[in-house]
Amino acid sequence: MKAPIALALAFILYPFVFSNAFYLDIGVALLLAAISASAWNIVGGYAGQVSVGHCMFFGAGAYLPLLVYHHWQLPPVVGVPLGIIVSLVLAVIVGMPTFRLTGHYFSMATIAVAELIRLVIGTWDFAGAAIGLQGPAVGRGWWDLTFRGELPYYFIFLAVLIVLLLVISTIERTRFGYYLRAIKAGERAARSLGVPVRRTKLYALMLSAAFTSIAGSLYSIKTGFIDPESGFGILVSVQMVIIAALGGAGTLYGPLVGALILIPLQTATNTWFGGGGTGLTYILYGGIIVLIARFEPGGLHEMWHRIAPKFGKRHAA
Amino acid sequence: MLLSAENVSKTFGSLRAVAGANLAIDEGEIIGLIGPNGAGKSTFFNCLAGDTLPTTGRIVFDGRDVTRASPEEHAELGVGRTFQVPATFEDLTVLDNVMVGAFLRHPHRGAAREHALQVLDLVGLGDRQNLRARSLGTPGRKRLEIARVLATGPRLMLLDEALAGLTPVELQQAIALVKKIHQTGVTLVIVEHIMEVIMTLAARVIVFNQGHVIAQGKPADVVRQEAVIEAYLGRGHRNWRKKD
Repeated sequence: MKAPIALALAFILYPFVFSNAFYLDIGVALLLAAISASAWNIVGGYAGQVSVGHCMFFGAGAYLPLLVYHHWQLPPVVGVPLGIIVSLVLAVIVGMPTFRLTGHYFSMATIAVAELIRLVIGTWDFAGAAIGLQGPAVGRGWWDLTFRGELPYYFIFLAVLIVLLLVISTIERTRFGYYLRAIKAGERAARSLGVPVRRTKLYALMLSAAFTSIAGSLYSIKTGFIDPESGFGILVSVQMVIIAALGGAGTLYGPLVGALILIPLQTATNTWFGGGGTGLTYILYGGIIVLIARFEPGGLHEMWHRIAPKFGKRHAA
Repeated sequence: MLLSAENVSKTFGSLRAVAGANLAIDEGEIIGLIGPNGAGKSTFFNCLAGDTLPTTGRIVFDGRDVTRASPEEHAELGVGRTFQVPATFEDLTVLDNVMVGAFLRHPHRGAAREHALQVLDLVGLGDRQNLRARSLGTPGRKRLEIARVLATGPRLMLLDEALAGLTPVELQQAIALVKKIHQTGVTLVIVEHIMEVIMTLAARVIVFNQGHVIAQGKPADVVRQEAVIEAYLGRGHRNWRKKD
């Protein structure tokens, strides 16, 4: 229990130690990535149902706040629950037919639906088409969840991440959590033990979709802008998958560890190469995929569990 | 009667794996299902477990038609099965594996854990509860599979070659375990190639060949039947005997 508390304290103190806008921005991006990847981890990591189209939930959550603001001048925060509802409906539409099947149908269906939505949104004037939508020009306060500075966003994102991790940690200890891991380990065996596989996978997807939608809403409210690529782009999904896989998919802190490594690395490469580094993110993601697949499919979590006992022995000797 | 299968057939394209098989099991029995490779016993076994949908026929468990019921429903009703190749959850601990089964009748974690620990003690894996399943050898994994099914509280257990690949000592231990499980009131259907297991445990044997039930009765009687010997040794076995 000491490590999580120390980690939480470190996150609370971070903006006071690194109060510079650049570092604060990295902190906010890191927390957002950790929320998205942790949300993906529920269905992709714990249940082993690899969604490569989670951007559909992120995008739904991102668009709704700015849609309600743009068309009806409502506070963007009103769109957050609407984004969750749309994401839940999408999760049911994708999950119901594909979870009947075994194999990679779910992964393929998520990519197809996400791409379809991206194309529709990109040509739909109501949603700002290819140009996208804008939120309030200046932050208006707590009632609206729009602020002038980064600091309030940092703490809101941190609070959401803590809540999400608490939810996942609770799930880990319940029947639902055991069922998710059993499904990942072997669906046929799980079914023979009475695990309602389809229902469990659908609930996991819905829960995952809801939190991914919240991440999308936080992103668009904070940025004050959304377009088809930043909401529904395939890179949004790929980033969630890679961050979770890097830290350890199916583990509580894996996505957070993955975000702690990948986001600063990504920011650093973008800073070093500037505009000349266009496409470098793809190379970075590709390289990480190759390294994880070749050397450590269980991610850093698995690696740590393998090497930690050796360190222990060395110290004991 | 606990379970009955009437005229069950299963075809895969032009192949008729099971051709009108009948079976009736009373509560408390131990039944052996034997036959040469490719005889259709595993397909029939999968039909009984809800893993494979029969092409024709009807399967009734405890008065309820379960022909089209899913494996989950079978487990819920009290039909448990093991797999020919142990399908343990490799990355989960031994205890967690069994808890997955225990959750079926004990939704709360504490009760499921307590039940799982009791089952692990019964099968002799209590001291290995914190190991990952992948670290167990074949005998351990087979025991773990049995434990996992036991934790679901089955009335009928279908064991698919659960005792294959064991050393003579391990085999005796496994036979003792099956007897112990039977004593708790569980009815058993055992698919097995090892005749020692069948002769020791089964009160009744059903012999499959080419999708048909060719013989059934007491083990000692069945193994002497000409049709059974022919199914295992082929029609030329008489000539061989004459040569000898």
